[in-house]
Amino acid sequence: MGPADPRVVGRVRSTACLKRATVPGTARRPVAAVSAAALLFLSAAVVGCRASPRSDAPLYLTAGAQGPDTRVTLHAAPHLKINARLAPALELAGGTVLRFGGAPLTADSAYFSQPPSALLTGRHEEVHGTLRASVCRDDEQVCRSLTLEL
Amino acid sequence: MTRSALLFFASLAAALAGGAALESASRAQAQARVPMLNAPSGLRAPAPAWRNTSWLNSDHPLTLSELKGRVVLLNFWVFTCYNCTNTVPSLVDFDHKYRDQGLTIIGIHTPEFPPYAGEHDRGNVERALRKYGIAYPNAQDNDSKTWNLYDIRYWPSFVLIDKKGDIRYQGYGEFHLNDGSYHTWDQRIRELLAE
Repeated sequence: MGPADPRVVGRVRSTACLKRATVPGTARRPVAAVSAAALLFLSAAVVGCRASPRSDAPLYLTAGAQGPDTRVTLHAAPHLKINARLAPALELAGGTVLRFGGAPLTADSAYFSQPPSALLTGRHEEVHGTLRASVCRDDEQVCRSLTLEL
Repeated sequence: MTRSALLFFASLAAALAGGAALESASRAQAQARVPMLNAPSGLRAPAPAWRNTSWLNSDHPLTLSELKGRVVLLNFWVFTCYNCTNTVPSLVDFDHKYRDQGLTIIGIHTPEFPPYAGEHDRGNVERALRKYGIAYPNAQDNDSKTWNLYDIRYWPSFVLIDKKGDIRYQGYGEFHLNDGSYHTWDQRIRELLAE
């Protein structure tokens, strides 16, 4: 598996424009449902079910081998911009936090103009942790946070 | 195809369909909310009392009760938010124009990410205040209590409180010096100052 043949390793679906999708209360249920969907999707990848990124997903991750390691790339739907001032983060189960970057920025340096990525040590078929990204829709003038338990 | 395989793919399809529905609902909700910036007045609810303890540009923690008799504009922001910092020049302008007439602008600095991102750090907030020429008081809202108290959902957001301590206007979204939203907020401030 190489960078040219990325595999979807997780999906993020907005639970609306909530700052914290994981706050106790009603927001938890959608996130749990989303996580279940993501886990199912991961399972599909593991058993060899071929999947291509869906263009309507707000955010999704792909992974590809880079030497002995795994490069994880965060993609946004066409209508979303990823905030580069607050680099997306993948909080791994062990406490390590990977920050996404290494991609060109828009002229105002506010957003990534290409998908940012992070290097995960070792080869990984699955990623477990919490993904956070600050995103802005093209047609809005606000920032919003997306959080997903992978 | 075995029965178990059929069950697996049926579950996968159901989960993906559920996710699509969630996203669709969220988009509808977002689209319904954005025009709120220019929504007509009609609000008149007592502003809840914030209890932030870490303040910048103020020699003591400001309270809502001590600001009775002044018009208060709360700005929920964070320095990593481009839409927020783009709006700061307008807020600085309001501060220059109306502070002496009875307006107090308060920045409520609410981080998006956990502390590793640096948004909780007082020094980083101080640097941002200097960078953007912000002289009005700012409260660190690192635990998001004031954000939650006011049921805020977006950066930047605004709450305009009258001299009696009632919320009169709320809204969100970036605006710029002398654009339409700037004039809307300017008019709202002048209206409450005149009461």
